[in-house]
Amino acid sequence: MELVELLKTVELFEGLTQAQLQRLAEISEPARYDKDTVIFEQGQQGDRLYIVGSGEVVVRVGEDPRSARTQVYLGRGQIFGEMALLDGGPRSATTVCSRNGTQVYGVSREAFTNLCKSDTAIGYVVMRNMAHDLSFKLRHHNLTLV
Amino acid sequence: MIYKVSYVVSGGRHPGAIMNEYERPQLGDRVEIGDKVFEVTEVLEMTPPRGDFQYLHVTVRLVDENENP
Repeated sequence: MELVELLKTVELFEGLTQAQLQRLAEISEPARYDKDTVIFEQGQQGDRLYIVGSGEVVVRVGEDPRSARTQVYLGRGQIFGEMALLDGGPRSATTVCSRNGTQVYGVSREAFTNLCKSDTAIGYVVMRNMAHDLSFKLRHHNLTLV
Repeated sequence: MIYKVSYVVSGGRHPGAIMNEYERPQLGDRVEIGDKVFEVTEVLEMTPPRGDFQYLHVTVRLVDENENP
């Protein structure tokens, strides 16, 4: 699937025009991971968010990998690593690839900030959608506690 | 329509999953999360649809390895 077509299926970019999606595609860096590959670790400095194009990742919280708690599995169309992009703090969780051949796309803070400065409408739409995504994740987490 | 689905596993400590689906999940469907297979037991709308997206809360149960599909 062409990257722009893929980005259309990602809620984070819902409401963007074809031209805006094209600009986002230009700053998205593809990477492919196999099962059990650590994409980033809790506590590391984070400078990018990631989009799952295909496959699956698992988010774990805990300094010690042997006792880390699994928080959620994220499949296609989902984003992760967005908190470090928003607040500039360290990674709040470890994210590990849980399926061979998982395709992700990274967007760096610097490239994203520059894009938003040049087209503030992109920044508004993406930030609104990011808030919606965080709300969805919180609802999911709450439901798993019931 | 794209279905953004919160899969919540009943009766266990599994954290579930969030993923996009291109067809609305139906009762009895099977879904793979991590290295386990689950069966859909309930489908509810989680929040109102927005644009091309519909938001679903789907409850699933772990399928016993010896169960036939």
